[in-house]
Amino acid sequence: MKRWLKLAAGAAAVTLATAGCAGSSGTDTAASSSGAPAPITGDVTVWLMTGSAPATLTDALNKEFEAAHPGVKVKYEIQQWDGIQQKLTTALAGGTPPDVIEIGNTQTAAFASNEGVLTDLTADKDSFNGAQWLKGLADSGTYEGKVYGVPFYAANREVIYRKDMFEQAGITKTPTSNDEWIDAITKLKTKFGSDPDFQALYMPGQNWYSLLSFIWDNGGDIAQPDGKKFKATLDSAGAKAGLEFYKKLVDTSGTKAPKDADEAKPQQATVYGGGKVAMMIGLPWELPTAAKTDPSLTAKTGAFAIPSKTAGQTAPVFLGGSNLAIPANSKNVAAAKEYIKLLSSPKYQSQLAAAGVVPGTSTDLTGLDKDPLGSVMAKASTNGKAVPASPQWGDVESGQNPVKDMLTAYLTGKKTLDQATADANAALNKLIGG
Amino acid sequence: MTATANVTMPAGATPPASPRDTRAKKRRRGRFGDRVLPYLLLLPALAAILVLLAWPLVQVLAISFRKLDIGQLVSGKTVWIGFDNYTNTLSDPEFWTVTFRTLVFTAAIVAATILGGLLLAVLMRHLGPVVRIIVQVTLVLAWATPVIATTTVFQWIFDEQYGILNKTLDRLGFHGFIGFSWFSSGASTLSVIGLLIVWQAVPFVTFSLYAGIIGVSREQYEAAGIDGASAWQTFRAVTWPAIKPITTMVTFLSVLWDFNAFAQIWAIREGGPDGGSTTLAVVLYLKGIAGNHFGAAAAIATLMLIVLALITGRYIQLLTRTREGDLS
Repeated sequence: MKRWLKLAAGAAAVTLATAGCAGSSGTDTAASSSGAPAPITGDVTVWLMTGSAPATLTDALNKEFEAAHPGVKVKYEIQQWDGIQQKLTTALAGGTPPDVIEIGNTQTAAFASNEGVLTDLTADKDSFNGAQWLKGLADSGTYEGKVYGVPFYAANREVIYRKDMFEQAGITKTPTSNDEWIDAITKLKTKFGSDPDFQALYMPGQNWYSLLSFIWDNGGDIAQPDGKKFKATLDSAGAKAGLEFYKKLVDTSGTKAPKDADEAKPQQATVYGGGKVAMMIGLPWELPTAAKTDPSLTAKTGAFAIPSKTAGQTAPVFLGGSNLAIPANSKNVAAAKEYIKLLSSPKYQSQLAAAGVVPGTSTDLTGLDKDPLGSVMAKASTNGKAVPASPQWGDVESGQNPVKDMLTAYLTGKKTLDQATADANAALNKLIGG
Repeated sequence: MTATANVTMPAGATPPASPRDTRAKKRRRGRFGDRVLPYLLLLPALAAILVLLAWPLVQVLAISFRKLDIGQLVSGKTVWIGFDNYTNTLSDPEFWTVTFRTLVFTAAIVAATILGGLLLAVLMRHLGPVVRIIVQVTLVLAWATPVIATTTVFQWIFDEQYGILNKTLDRLGFHGFIGFSWFSSGASTLSVIGLLIVWQAVPFVTFSLYAGIIGVSREQYEAAGIDGASAWQTFRAVTWPAIKPITTMVTFLSVLWDFNAFAQIWAIREGGPDGGSTTLAVVLYLKGIAGNHFGAAAAIATLMLIVLALITGRYIQLLTRTREGDLS
C-alpha cells in the first residue's frame, strides 16, 4: 500500500505543479523580429549535458555572449543524463523553464511532436548556419517539416582495434569489407586462440546501435514513415540479413560477452582495457576509459570504419548526439536564439570538433584530424543516419527495447530468425505504429 | 471526571430553577467537549492523511480519465477522454497476461515468505541462546542490507560467466551449468527475483512470528509434553493458535508489498527477457515514467488498487468486523 501511494503522490505532485503553473506561454515571441535587432535584456538560462562541450568552450562562449549583450547574464547549468527526460518534462511544465536546452537526438521527436512544447525555429535556420547542418541530426530535430531542434554535436561508432595484435596475426591492412573483417577475426583467433581469455571481437548480444549499421548496410531499416505514423520493418529481408551478419560476427569471434546485455553492462571499454580483446565496436572516447586500466593501450590502438558488405565502402552508422532547442514557454526566446546562433558559429563548432565530436552545424571536420580515432569517426559520420523520428521513440529506448530482445532471442537460439524478427516487428509496431 | 459527580442537592428544599439550568448546560457543554476533543486530537493526523494520501488518490483517479502526455503536461490543457485509458488497457491481451503473472508471482513469494518465516521462528524457539543470537543477527543483516545492494549481489551470484553459483554447480559435478543463463526465460528470471524478494522479506516475518511464539507461556508446552503430544501436535494445539492473528497480519502485509514489488524486478532484467518478467508495477513504470503517458499509467494504478482491494478484501472484512484487532 505504502509504495503504491508513494507513486500516486509523485504523480499527483507533477499534476499539481502543472495545474499551478500552466497557461503562461506564447506571448513573448514577437519582440525580436522587427528591423534592427532589438537589444536583448534579461537572463538566459542554458542547460547543457555533462560531457557535451568542454568547459574551455563554454567559458569562452558565455563570456563572449555576455560581452556582446551588456546586461544579459548567462546562467549556465550542467545536467546529468541520468533521469534527464523526467527533469526536462518537469522543468518544461514549470513556469520558468530554462531558455536553451540540450535534448538527446533520439528524444527530440517526443518533445517536438507535441504542439506548444518547443519553439518553432524553421525561420531561424539560416542564422544558425543551416546550410551546413549534419543531415542525420537535422532529421531528428525536424518534425512534420518544421525545425524544432538545432544540431549540436554527434558521434558514431567505429571498430576500435589493437594495431599490435593485427600485426602479429599477419593482418597488413584494416578490413574494408565484411568478408575481410571475418577473415581478420579468423586470423586473430588462429594466432591468439590458445589463450582461453582471448576475444578477437568483443560483441555483447544487445549492441543494437551496431545492428542498425548492419541492417542499413543490407538495405533494410527498422521502420518506415507511414503517413504520420511509422511502420516497423524489422521483418524485411534487409533487416534479417543484418541480423544474420551480427550472429556471424558473434559466432566467428567466439566472444564471451553476455548475450543478454548491451555494451554498457559491463562497460566494454573496461573489458578492452584488460588487454585480451583485439577489437570492439565503440565510440572514440571509450579508449581513454580503457587506458585508465592500461595506459599503453593508447599507443597500440587504432580504428577503422565499420566495413560494408560491399568492398571498399563503409556501412552507414547510427548518429548519436544532441540537438539544441528553446522551450515554447521560455521567457527570453530572443536571447536564447542569439545564444544558439553564437554556439552554432564556425568558431565554436571547430572547438567542438577539436574536443573529439562531430559538430552539428559545420562541415569543417579538420579539428578531428589530429586524433586517429576521431578522424575515422569524422569520415564515417557523413554516412550517418538517425532512428525514426517517431514521437514514441522514447518509449523504445527508455523501456523494453524490442530490438534488444530480438537480438538476444535470436543469438541464444531461443527463436528462429523469422520468429524473432516477426515478434520484434509486432512489438515495435505496438510502440511506434499507433 | 463528569460534571455531575460533585453536585450536592440541598436536602428537603425545592432546588431553584436557575442553578439547575446552568448545571444542565454545563453538563451538556462538558459532554460536547468530551465528544469533540478526541476528534480535535485526531485532526492533525487526519489532515496529514488527507493531504498526503487521499488527495493524491483523488488526483490519480482524475488523471486516469484524462489524456496526460508530455504535451498536455507542458501546455496545461486538461483533456478528458472518459474511459479510454481503461478500455485501452483492458482490451490489451498483454495486460491480462501480466496481471495473471503478477498474481501467480505474488502468491508464490508470499507463500514462500510465510512458510520460511514460520519455520525459522519455530526453529529459533528450540535453539540455544548463543546460536539463536547468531541466527537473529544474520537475519537482521539480511534485512538491513539495502534492496539494490542485495540485488547487485544476487546478479553476481547468478551471472552466467563469473557467477559463483554456476562455478559451484560445476565443481559439484553438474557440468551443464557452465555458462548457463539463469535469465534466459521469464519463468527462470522470476524465480531468481522471487528468491531475492523472499530473502529480504523473511527476516521481518520471522521476527514477528517469533514475538508471537515467545508470548506463549512455558507451562502450556510443558502441559503438552506431559500429555505426550508430538511436535506436530504441540505446534497445532499450542503454537498455532497463539500466532495465527500475527500470521494473518504478516500475510496481508506481504501481499501488499510483494504485489507492488518493483525495484528488484527492474534492477535484475528490466522486466525482460522479452517482457517475460514484467509485472504490473513494471508496466506502470513503463507507461508513466518511461513513456510519459501519465493518464494511461494512472488507469493502471487504479486497476492495481482494485485488484489489491479484491485480494485483501477478506482481511479488511475481518479487520472491520472483529474488535480490538482479534483476527483469530
